[in-house]
Amino acid sequence: MQIIVNGTAHEVDVEDDMPLLWVLRDELGITGVKYGCGIAQCGACTVHLDGQAVRSCQVDISDVGNQEVTTIEGLGTPEALHAVQAAWIKHQVAQCGYCQSGQIMQAASMLDLNPEPTDEEIDVIMSGNLCRCGTYPRIREAIRSAAATLREA
Amino acid sequence: MFRLKTVVLCAALALAAPIALAADKVVIAPPAPGSVSREQGLDAWGRIFEVTSHPRCSNCHVGERNRPMWSGPSYGKTQVHGMNIIAGESRIGAEFLPCATCHAASETGNDVDHAAPQVDDDWRLAPVEAQWFGKSSVEICNQLRDPARNGERSFMDLARHLDHDVILHWAWKPGGSRQPAPYSLQEHVNDILTWGVAGQPCTND
Repeated sequence: MQIIVNGTAHEVDVEDDMPLLWVLRDELGITGVKYGCGIAQCGACTVHLDGQAVRSCQVDISDVGNQEVTTIEGLGTPEALHAVQAAWIKHQVAQCGYCQSGQIMQAASMLDLNPEPTDEEIDVIMSGNLCRCGTYPRIREAIRSAAATLREA
Repeated sequence: MFRLKTVVLCAALALAAPIALAADKVVIAPPAPGSVSREQGLDAWGRIFEVTSHPRCSNCHVGERNRPMWSGPSYGKTQVHGMNIIAGESRIGAEFLPCATCHAASETGNDVDHAAPQVDDDWRLAPVEAQWFGKSSVEICNQLRDPARNGERSFMDLARHLDHDVILHWAWKPGGSRQPAPYSLQEHVNDILTWGVAGQPCTND
């Protein structure tokens, strides 16, 4: 079957019920997306399907269809980072960094839907993305910063 | 701040046509008019209440706090849904984290115990006016026969609603070690029809 990831079409020969996460990492070698829990409780595997954040460990490859998959590798480029990626660097959010691709993908989707989130909305929406290092205050600061950048763009 | 784009997402999700490939077939065959006594109707209601008050159903029939619940044998103690989930007035999470972020629409479902349950439809809460969680038998009985609170449905419409809505079918086939709703989908539909032909009696009548 065919899958479109970061604007590129790929042909994969896998079982219909293989999770999208496995296809990305093991079949296509796209490893920015992380395996955390496998049961939608940590958010480390968050990618976008047609711009909407989803937990890729929960999406069967057969249910992806023609939807475009975007991973952290396709969110921005080294030359033109997405505002959330730039804010992550500016605020030095990452500690161990394992959760950050999922955090960034969730935050980017949130700001696409809601460009001016309150602190409460940031906390509620990002609650599904766990950070074992406890970098939550920096995550919130970076999201505030990215939101301001996107509003000025 | 909630804005137009979120509303569009909400509308798109709400209008998305579910593909009920895995839906169970239900026979809607009401008893003959006048053939069911009030007592038989109340007996049927008692079984209906066992279903509506079961955690498999009531966890998503919650009130205006818009917070789905985690309660029942699988959870040990009653608590709000983990991950600080608030489904919002949209009841699909459009204002915060859409339910579909984790509860992917899937034809095959999800049998993994602690993963997000899936059906071939958009995961969502029932409307606020259909709150069952924490409500008594009398309260839910009166709610289900009140067109203003049951979606303008007759008892036949309620039966048909149970026939075509696959998220309701999931309650009897929740997968993994999740406890299903009592009785069977067909028995529940039969009880709705029996209660309806009896005149939808409630114990406070």
